[in-house]
Amino acid sequence: MSGKTETSRTGRRVMRALPTLCALLLVGEIIIHRHAYFALEATPLFFALFGGVAACLVVGGSMLMSRLITRAPDYYGGDDDA
Amino acid sequence: MGAMMMLEAAFTMFLTMLLTIPGMMLIIGALAVPVLPLPARNAYMLVLIAISGWSVWHISPDETMTATLAGIDLILVRGEAITKPFALVFHIAAALNVIYAMHENAKITATAGLTYAGAAIAALFAGDFLTLFIYWELTTFASVFLVLAGDSSRAMRAAMRYLLMQVASGVILLAGAVLLWRAGAGFTITALDATTPAGFCILLAFGIKAGFPLLGGWLQDAYPEASPTGSVMLSAFTTKLAIYMLVICFAGFKPLIYIGLAMAVIPLFAALIENNLRRVLAIALVNQLGIMVVGIGIGSELAVNGVTAHAFASVLYKGLLFMSIGAVFMRTGTDQADALGGLSRQMPWTAAFCLIGALSIASMPLFSGFTTKALTIGAVAKQGELLVWLGLLFASVGVVLHTAVKLPYATFFAPNDKIKAEEAPLNMRVAMALAAGGCILIGLYPSALYALLPYEVSYKVWDSGHVLGELQLLAFAALIFALMVRRGIYPLHGARVVLYSDWLTRRVIPRIIIGLGEPLMKIWNALKDGSVALTLRALRTSEEASRATGLASGIASTGAAAGIFLAVFALILLIRVLM
Repeated sequence: MSGKTETSRTGRRVMRALPTLCALLLVGEIIIHRHAYFALEATPLFFALFGGVAACLVVGGSMLMSRLITRAPDYYGGDDDA
Repeated sequence: MGAMMMLEAAFTMFLTMLLTIPGMMLIIGALAVPVLPLPARNAYMLVLIAISGWSVWHISPDETMTATLAGIDLILVRGEAITKPFALVFHIAAALNVIYAMHENAKITATAGLTYAGAAIAALFAGDFLTLFIYWELTTFASVFLVLAGDSSRAMRAAMRYLLMQVASGVILLAGAVLLWRAGAGFTITALDATTPAGFCILLAFGIKAGFPLLGGWLQDAYPEASPTGSVMLSAFTTKLAIYMLVICFAGFKPLIYIGLAMAVIPLFAALIENNLRRVLAIALVNQLGIMVVGIGIGSELAVNGVTAHAFASVLYKGLLFMSIGAVFMRTGTDQADALGGLSRQMPWTAAFCLIGALSIASMPLFSGFTTKALTIGAVAKQGELLVWLGLLFASVGVVLHTAVKLPYATFFAPNDKIKAEEAPLNMRVAMALAAGGCILIGLYPSALYALLPYEVSYKVWDSGHVLGELQLLAFAALIFALMVRRGIYPLHGARVVLYSDWLTRRVIPRIIIGLGEPLMKIWNALKDGSVALTLRALRTSEEASRATGLASGIASTGAAAGIFLAVFALILLIRVLM
């Protein structure tokens, strides 16, 4: 079995498992009471929503920043930095 | 007879210092490392570390050792409640480093590594800034050899920049210490006011080593250029020593909350787009240090416990991640994300250990990050700092993306059927297994670590609501990121250079120096040429005057010319000294 097939299979398994795990965690919200320090934290599904939104922001921010802060691999001149 | 007694007294003093000053045994013991053959060298280093660790474990909390040098009282050994956990984890890291590097016959790296560990341990126990300065500089000079072990011209250049920044930190520390002494406060290491010149200098010195914004470029510049074993050693000591010193001197200094928050959040973006995986780890290290600096700024008992526990766990999981990527680098010859992938079948043990490190840094319940970072985040919440708390949650999400998902995926699971590699050598796997075991142990049984913390821990980390919230945060962040990568919205990697704060020392500062240097050289050359012309003209005038008007006038003119010559010579000398 090639590495590609195996790793693709692992990726598919993870992609199948993640939504199931997320769904279970949402159900857990009904059963488990969360102690909150802030009123915002007490909002239902706060952590799930925050996780998803923050992931979008980090990825979006990285895509925007990549235009500003990425350069060609030889930017520092290979071995010669200055 | 007198000489014999003096010799005996000197030997007794040396032995006392060797046994009483923690870390000294490693520093002195390192001198024998180059002459020992393998495998005796490795056994010798492990025995030294074990004896040193044992003595630190049994050190009395009120143990002190003082000395007087040129009328200055030095406190060579002084333990605080926070010292023992740091000293303990430094010993563990030193031992893991020796095991990880056992396959190498690198005498310089081994000597430098042991000296570096010893100096860092000794620095933890320093009770005054002069003693600290000595060990502070020793960590610098020992660790620069680990960067040089990268054995490339890039590594050499990175090592020089690293040395420059580390020495700058030492010099600023010494300046701060002298200012403190002049203000009548002596050299004793104690809580300081960062708004005084002395306090500010010392904060700046610690800040350089702790990776403060714009000051920590050396970290992501040098660590990825070291050898695989060198970068593992580097990841453990310098930054944690700085964190320890910040706790001792600046706990509760509120601006640190915002400095730490900037350190925790800003690196996320760069780490996500970075292609060099060891650089990803170096940038992510700044993110972890940021969370600790926030805790230092909060300064409550819970926060200080959190910083200590987090630093302890971070040495293990960060070391584990550097070990796993270092093993991949050693086996494949690359640490570039776009060149890797598909190694999970070829290096299954390394992949498993990397995942344990990744889950630990991501604060997954049952792993060390969860039971340690929770204390700091809880301390922030207890202080009612909502925005800071949200910032730390945001930083936690970033860590999930760049270190817990991207790094293991790009290395071990991304499709790539071209790359071929063997599993890491047995000694590397043993070191990784021990570090991974530590991560799981702290995750499952945190009370063992909590017992070492400076204050009693009453925080309930295993609250079911807290576990659920953390799992939701991690799982939803991972799901959204995986979907974005899978649907091609986010290209995971590509060959590129990411400009980060090391850009300042690699590009901006050299350009400024060159830019300033050229006009200065022009002024210098103009002054030099002008002065030579002026002198020649004065001499010629004098000669002509003497020929026309006689000896007396000639002497006067020659005297004037000599005066001009001397003045110009003094000017040239002055400019040369200034430049």
